[in-house]
Amino acid sequence: MSYYEFFCPVKVIAGQAALEHLPYEFSSRAVERPMVVTDKGVRNAGLLDKVLAACEEGGMDITVVYDDVPADSSKQTVTAIAKEYRKQKCDGILAIGGGSPIDTAKAVNILVSEGGDDIAQYAGSGVLKRPLKPFFVIPTTAGTGSEVTNVAVIADTEKEVKLPFASSFMLPDAAVIDPRMTLTLPPQITAATGMDAMTHSVEAFTCLAKNPLSDAYAAAAIRKISNNLLKVMEKPDDAERRLELAQASTMAGIAFSNSMVGLVHALGHSLGAVCHLPHGLCMSLFLPYVLEYNLGQIREPLSELLLHLAGPEIYAMTPKSQRAEESIATIRKLRDDLHRHCGLPRTLQETGKVEKSQLDRIAQMTIDDGSIMFNPKEASLEDARAVLEKAWA
Amino acid sequence: MIRERLRPLASQAKRAYVQLMLDVVGRSLEAISEVDDQVRNEVTVLPDGFLFSMQVMPKGPALFMRKQRDGSLQYLGGSVAQRPDLSIQFKHLHHAFLVLSFQEKTAQSFANDRMLVDGDLGYAVRMTRVLNRLETFILPRLVASRAVKEYPDNLGLPEKVFSAARIYLKVAMNFVDTVRSS
Ligand SMILES: [Zn+2]
Repeated sequence: MSYYEFFCPVKVIAGQAALEHLPYEFSSRAVERPMVVTDKGVRNAGLLDKVLAACEEGGMDITVVYDDVPADSSKQTVTAIAKEYRKQKCDGILAIGGGSPIDTAKAVNILVSEGGDDIAQYAGSGVLKRPLKPFFVIPTTAGTGSEVTNVAVIADTEKEVKLPFASSFMLPDAAVIDPRMTLTLPPQITAATGMDAMTHSVEAFTCLAKNPLSDAYAAAAIRKISNNLLKVMEKPDDAERRLELAQASTMAGIAFSNSMVGLVHALGHSLGAVCHLPHGLCMSLFLPYVLEYNLGQIREPLSELLLHLAGPEIYAMTPKSQRAEESIATIRKLRDDLHRHCGLPRTLQETGKVEKSQLDRIAQMTIDDGSIMFNPKEASLEDARAVLEKAWA
Repeated sequence: MIRERLRPLASQAKRAYVQLMLDVVGRSLEAISEVDDQVRNEVTVLPDGFLFSMQVMPKGPALFMRKQRDGSLQYLGGSVAQRPDLSIQFKHLHHAFLVLSFQEKTAQSFANDRMLVDGDLGYAVRMTRVLNRLETFILPRLVASRAVKEYPDNLGLPEKVFSAARIYLKVAMNFVDTVRSS
């Protein structure tokens, strides 16, 4: 008999004119002087202005903005932002962006709530024992799902280690999902982050900690991504389908934060660290090959996923014994289509940024990655190396 | 009425079993880390003096191991004053019992939120593999294939190293029967 836990206390505020709900949400937590944490990309794309305008119109002027979060956020960045928060006497945080601003804001919230200047002292899981300051998130990529995960990673650049933080107190009070925030996402990033959300769902549905509640979120997310990702590639300004992808990303985030991910993420984290490739691309590069590797252990759930990946007609037409293979073929076809649309690489070789001599190191890092714990098949160094070889060309 | 008198007995047996099995695991881990290349290979990346513990919350039975300079693991018993670098904590005595009586795989227990990791997750992954390797040595093949995700084909170690552990195990199995029958 199985056992599981499922937890997601984040209020999801999604759809048309969602941004305009921010002033009310702030006031419901008695926030009068929020600090915005974001990056230059968000500002330059005009997304920050949209948020500030929506708040201003609702009678709330936001004057404290930190827009300089780097792509890989560090301990120093967190300390600097926390200092500014205290100086400006803020009383809440609004993160706008992809994974990096959101992770940074989670860490800043720990410092400004618990005190001190060194975020490293709060690293680990279960360290926090009480709620933090009011915290809101607006995701601008449809992929990471960070708005509903209870983890953050911050680099300690002096010691050259990545500090992990895990606590349910780091979850935001609310996540605001507005189609305007992803409308201008460039094609390659749309494709890569969409494949990240797809991987979160597929791994949540096939790895060791799968459970009925996370399965429901994962399956629904896969259906939304399958129905909308290519359509958005064809027509990037389709706000309705953009919203579908953004919701799918949040649903996939809820799924994987409750059932964890597996070997695709272990390989992807390692490839990303060694070759500096975007996370979503790394996911897309490994997904079909890892599913093939795991096939013996995941035939049943993977067969079930064909319904959500390819739709009821193909599911019904495919003999039961072939459904798992067909699921993998459908994911491969999606990768081919994305490659045609925006050149998203399908193999390590196609990236042009990976050397064959680096594969050993990537394999070594893979078996030390925490995500490998929940992979349904126990992967050895040789297994990881073999999957990398298959993903090469 | 009879049930109520039996229940504490079962719980006592369970506690004793967990305590004994942690001791078996500690001693066996020390032995295996001196001779088995695969375990030594997993342990090499741990810093010298690295302190590892498995504990039952709250303040239940525990085991402590320290990484030696020669690359082996030294068993330090059930309590050490120092804070461990990596600790794996069972949320409840019964959860420890499920894992240590090989009814639930270690990775599955993590997946089921029955254990907490305090420390580097990468090291925890390695220690889980070490524990899996250990189980394949000290358990009869049939039981081991239930306790670990995959069972390796070649276990090339002298039998006598683990005969001691097997004796412990027989005693331990009696506890399982005691607990199950009550
Ligand atoms: Zn991911």
